[in-house]
Amino acid sequence: MNESKKRLIARYAVDRGEDFELITRFDDGTIRERVSKEDPRAASIMPRYPAAIWFERKIRDDFGIRFEGAFDQRPLLHHERWPRDLHPMRRDFDVHTVLELSDYRPYRYEAIGGDGVFEVAVGPIHAGIIEPGHFQFSQAGEDMLHQEVRHFYKYRGIEKMLEGKTLAEAAPVVARISGNESVAAQIALARIAEAAAGEEAETGIAARRALLLESERLAHHWTDLGFIPNDAGFAAALAYASARAEEVRRWMAELTGHRFAFDAIASKPRPWNPDQILRRIAGMREAIDWFENWIVGIPSLWDRMDTTGILPRSDALRYGCVGVVARASGVALDVRASEALYTHNGFAIQSEESGDVAARFKVRIAELRHSLELMERFVPLCSEAPFVFTEKGEGAFESFVESSLGELYLAVEMEEGRIRRFFFRDPSFVNWQALHRMMPGNIIADFPLINKSCDLSYAGNDL
Amino acid sequence: MLTYWQKRFRTGVLTERPEFDERMKVLRKRLKKGIAKHFAGSLAIRMVDSGSCNACEAECNALSNPYYDLERLGIRFVASPRHADVMLLSGVLTFNMLPHVLDAWEQIPEPKWCITLGDCPVMEAPFTRTFAIEAPAAEHLPITHHIPGCPPSPDRIIEGLLEFLEKLDTVKS
Repeated sequence: MNESKKRLIARYAVDRGEDFELITRFDDGTIRERVSKEDPRAASIMPRYPAAIWFERKIRDDFGIRFEGAFDQRPLLHHERWPRDLHPMRRDFDVHTVLELSDYRPYRYEAIGGDGVFEVAVGPIHAGIIEPGHFQFSQAGEDMLHQEVRHFYKYRGIEKMLEGKTLAEAAPVVARISGNESVAAQIALARIAEAAAGEEAETGIAARRALLLESERLAHHWTDLGFIPNDAGFAAALAYASARAEEVRRWMAELTGHRFAFDAIASKPRPWNPDQILRRIAGMREAIDWFENWIVGIPSLWDRMDTTGILPRSDALRYGCVGVVARASGVALDVRASEALYTHNGFAIQSEESGDVAARFKVRIAELRHSLELMERFVPLCSEAPFVFTEKGEGAFESFVESSLGELYLAVEMEEGRIRRFFFRDPSFVNWQALHRMMPGNIIADFPLINKSCDLSYAGNDL
Repeated sequence: MLTYWQKRFRTGVLTERPEFDERMKVLRKRLKKGIAKHFAGSLAIRMVDSGSCNACEAECNALSNPYYDLERLGIRFVASPRHADVMLLSGVLTFNMLPHVLDAWEQIPEPKWCITLGDCPVMEAPFTRTFAIEAPAAEHLPITHHIPGCPPSPDRIIEGLLEFLEKLDTVKS
């Protein structure tokens, strides 16, 4: 495994009128290629970068660009009943087009053949209160040989929806791309606006944003710390952790007027009581200490989590994984490590080496505690200065935010103050693709546990 | 595990928001009565996400946390539509989900009701309609009741379910 290989962050296309532009963002720079409209073809990078599979299949659906050398040519967004040869991200496609259900074209799932090997189809509607998506398992008895993730049931056409809008008009939609990472997406958009205006957020504003971003992380990590043990049959942890998550939602409502802080980054800060927040943070630090002390003493739970669903470090690197999934496999990757506000306030990347469910669980506990420490330092820095979207902006801008699910990447092209191209790479878009690497050697009953330990978003992924 | 029970006994039962708890007490009584009357004491809900941002789902999950503990009222979220009385539909009903939503609806035995949850299925969330969106849901399904909000908070969902039960006094499936 060549570790010096660069990391693929995103690959997407833009309709330039005359031709298409194919943009590939690596961690060390951007590569731009022209693709002719008459004969839209480009060279695939799938064989080198496995996470390019979904990016290229998406580009093919969106623009009709074919990739030569691609071993996977199946449609991604366009499901069985999609009209043929329809590419919605082309400029001449009207966003209000009413689609007619076409004839049914079956999707060919990846499957492993052999004596006694059978397939299990799960989804898109799952048992429980969860987002829709499809999982196809190749089984030898209880053992999972392979699993394919198939998504985009929630595909709402958000990239196209936002074209032609100003950033201020786009803001309420961006806040609702995924409720799991609303604050992170709002911050990403605000940073685009600041980049377009050639400004940078002052410390007081940045600190208030960071306080909300860490609150969002608390809510999510608590929820996961409850649901992971619950999927291993230990319901008491869910009762405890879901109550803490509820408490965080209520602080967020006090701070912003909304339990998920929707639209909070772009609205005028509400008056708040810093001492009260500091008291709550102190209370929650006691809660996480108590929780950890309790949960480490439940051997039957660790028996389920230890060595389950291992993502080797080499796979995490090869797929360009982000967030807790990467950090639990020993990849020290966190956007916050490159932000002055965080590094000046003692930020340290939390990571584990073993890459199993237990590692992801432990990283979440460590991050939750670290977020509380950081929040204590952010509280006195917060100002009540409002943030206003400027109508300025011409050119291409990008931003990175470390959401509770991992690195969120947003790239926006502006033309006369309006969005020309909106590209949103959810952290889960890469992590979902690495999920199947965690399955071989595990039994199907452990799938929910493995899946939950990664906490991946469907809505942000599907857009 | 001993740590847990020690904490449990030391903490006891907490009352944190007296005015909220009072309101919940009244709601609970009325809910229980309505469920006893219309659903023989147990209301089974199949929640279907047809393209939401996952906040509505998070709030429905929150209904099971110790602050709300919905199940004690006789309301259960069930896995199979065949066990359900009600389909609770969130999201903007995407083109890709539409056939599956209709499938789930067909699998629910009569009498059945569909309740829309949150601003998305009625197209009142900030999303504008695109080629990939099929909402408003009422164009495809018979909707008995709507619970507004983006997302509706857990207590608002409980109130919404109560309004639905009260509606049943006058409307039949």
